[in-house]
Amino acid sequence: MELHCLKDSFERVKKKRKVSYSKTHEVTELIVQEIEMVQSSTLEYKSKLAELKKKLQEVAPLSQLEGTQKKLNIALSKYPKALEKVLNPDISKAYRNVEFDSRVVNQLIASHFYRQWLFDVGDCFIVEAQDVDAAATMKSLFQELYQMLEVMKCWDLEPALKWAAANSNKLKENGSDLQLILHRLQFLKILKKGSRDEALKYARTNFVSFAGNHMAKIQNLMGCLLYPDRLHDSPYAHLLSLTNWDTVTEELTRQFCNLLGQSYESPLSVTIAAGIQALLPLLKFMTVMAGKKHEWQSMKQLPVPVDLGKEFQFHSIFVCPVSKEQSTDDNPPMLMSCGHVLCKQSINKMSNNGSKSFKCPYCPTDINSKHCRQLIF
Amino acid sequence: MEIDPLPNGTGSADTTSTETTITKTATTAASNTALSSNPSQLTESLKLEHQFLRVPFEHLKKTIRANHRTAEKEVSAVVSSFADVTDSNGLSNDDAVLSLTSLVSRLQGLKRKLDEGNRTENLQAQRCRVRLDHLESTDAEYLSVWNNVRLKRILVDYMLRMSYYDTAMKLAQSSNIEELVDIEVFQEAKKVIDALRNQDVGPALAWCADNKSRLKKSKSKFEFQLRLQEFIELVRAENYMRAILYARRYLAPWGATNLKELQQVMTTLAFRSNTECAKYKVLFDPKQWDFLVDQFKQEFYGLYGMTPEPLLNICLQAGLSALKTPYCYEDDCTKEDPLSQDNFRKLAMPLPYSKQHHSKLVCYITKELMDTENPPQVLPNGYVYSTKALKEMAEKNNGKITCPRTGLVCNYSELVKAYIS
Repeated sequence: MELHCLKDSFERVKKKRKVSYSKTHEVTELIVQEIEMVQSSTLEYKSKLAELKKKLQEVAPLSQLEGTQKKLNIALSKYPKALEKVLNPDISKAYRNVEFDSRVVNQLIASHFYRQWLFDVGDCFIVEAQDVDAAATMKSLFQELYQMLEVMKCWDLEPALKWAAANSNKLKENGSDLQLILHRLQFLKILKKGSRDEALKYARTNFVSFAGNHMAKIQNLMGCLLYPDRLHDSPYAHLLSLTNWDTVTEELTRQFCNLLGQSYESPLSVTIAAGIQALLPLLKFMTVMAGKKHEWQSMKQLPVPVDLGKEFQFHSIFVCPVSKEQSTDDNPPMLMSCGHVLCKQSINKMSNNGSKSFKCPYCPTDINSKHCRQLIF
Repeated sequence: MEIDPLPNGTGSADTTSTETTITKTATTAASNTALSSNPSQLTESLKLEHQFLRVPFEHLKKTIRANHRTAEKEVSAVVSSFADVTDSNGLSNDDAVLSLTSLVSRLQGLKRKLDEGNRTENLQAQRCRVRLDHLESTDAEYLSVWNNVRLKRILVDYMLRMSYYDTAMKLAQSSNIEELVDIEVFQEAKKVIDALRNQDVGPALAWCADNKSRLKKSKSKFEFQLRLQEFIELVRAENYMRAILYARRYLAPWGATNLKELQQVMTTLAFRSNTECAKYKVLFDPKQWDFLVDQFKQEFYGLYGMTPEPLLNICLQAGLSALKTPYCYEDDCTKEDPLSQDNFRKLAMPLPYSKQHHSKLVCYITKELMDTENPPQVLPNGYVYSTKALKEMAEKNNGKITCPRTGLVCNYSELVKAYIS
């Protein structure tokens, strides 16, 4: 990206603008001075006036302004051209004319605001956009999480611990050790305050129920009791790292969303991020296909493959390396005896509907189609 | 999920309240880790930011042009009135002094205006510069923050275009991104749109006059459409004589290029506003005003180098299409997929499916991509999971594997590797 050449181009605009301004200023000043000189001398008024007139003609203020303005205009027309060259001037070229229901879009946005804890903005939006009240339920859902995280910023774990205790069965089902890591933070907090007895008491009441699955971790924590005053230069110093708090925050958020049946990331963020990745290949395609807009409007599948990052892969997609088609229920992926995988239709074709064996396209193995197994991803 | 960071620096987790200051603007690594695509991809995506840089520049250009016009006008006015003073012979000394004094004060006024204009221009140039700098500030470290701001910018753009000004303002202020969004520019549009909604074409016509040369360049018919509407309103009010005078004055000049529309609208003089003739009835429809609002928006976007559609819609459409697979509409679609939600499904309905040239397999258990590092393995029943997930399961259960979808139990040694290209 040639951002620097945009910068240079813009600096030229700035410079020329300054020159143009000071020139106008200067010219005005000059005229004022000339007139004031005439005013100050009351003698021979007429001849002075004539002299002034001549001078003004010499100064030719308008043509002076014209010169600098012309240079400024050149700079002003060059910058947008540079913008159009370096950046994509119209990303709406990748837009199909499919009308979105703005009510649905507004609901997505309102939910997004509440998910991101922009409660004020969300409330304001609901009033302004109307008819999106359904999204307000998101607000009450996420308020609890927000409050828990708010107080965690002040190192207060009580609400989070309470929530985790109330949902401990579900958390265990999901294989989350959230409760334990919350207790661990609390335990260390007490220990750091220097009260070993209290910490021990806390450990006794709270760690027992985790002994079954997390013995090693608990042993580790009990070791801390040996260093109540100098934990930071003990073998357990890493337990004090602030990243532990980040981890807990993330895990709490993840589990909270999970129990609500919500995704961890805001779905709107995910979609827009995917869209930004997808726009570039789509725009490239549109420039190649310029003029064939009609086809684009009626297609069932995007004309170009769009490779999104792995964070956007939510489903297993199998593309047969022979036919290049995506597998379907009728045309499932089949595992051949050599371990390579093709679609059923390709195997049928190559084996002449199972009547003969064939060579795997990837290795020298002879394949008998009867020994192929269907895969489920 | 946006999460405010825990304060760092002081390496302790004390409860003392002095350490609890939290900065609102920064977001930690805990937020959006998954969504922060790699830096090179981000640099590529900067190519989509044309509007972001163009709009403040067009704004600046407009201000420069307007300021220059006033300066030029004033200077030439002064020069010519000075010529008047010197040329009139009968002028007494006193009168001459008087008119010279008024010229001077006029010039002083111009100087004040110039300074004021210079200040606004400076501010606007500053804004252009801030945006260039913002595009450069895409450090890997703050990628998630940057992405977050981008989403907010896109949302503010949507709010402004949909006339949700309060929300736009609130979002921009609470996120501290006022310099990065175009609220000021849209104030201009708001005036015109509000008036049009009240069936007042005045501000719209003034706007047309302001941007006459540029509208002419793009062969815009917007002014003509405004005039037609005013004419229609006169006919509606049965003010026929005034309507005819109005037409002579304001519609006739467009005759050369838009004769057909002109004739059609003149015919309403015969049909009146309560006509049932479909061709003319539509002209009296109050919806025509909404049409004018839309028309204005398009002209306005064009002038400022904005996309004709909100950025949000463009990105949303591309994103939904890229994410859309036949599997998204199945009941067991993972909730991390936006297309598991009804509202997203509804929007994606008319859009095409994504296209893949290569297989992409996601492990059912870990939700991670299966590749050569973490290859897929096949259970005797044909179900496929990632090596990582199966290994972990086997380690915990003495080499036994339980298929989470069918309950089948087998030995780790019974698994077969699948090679997917």
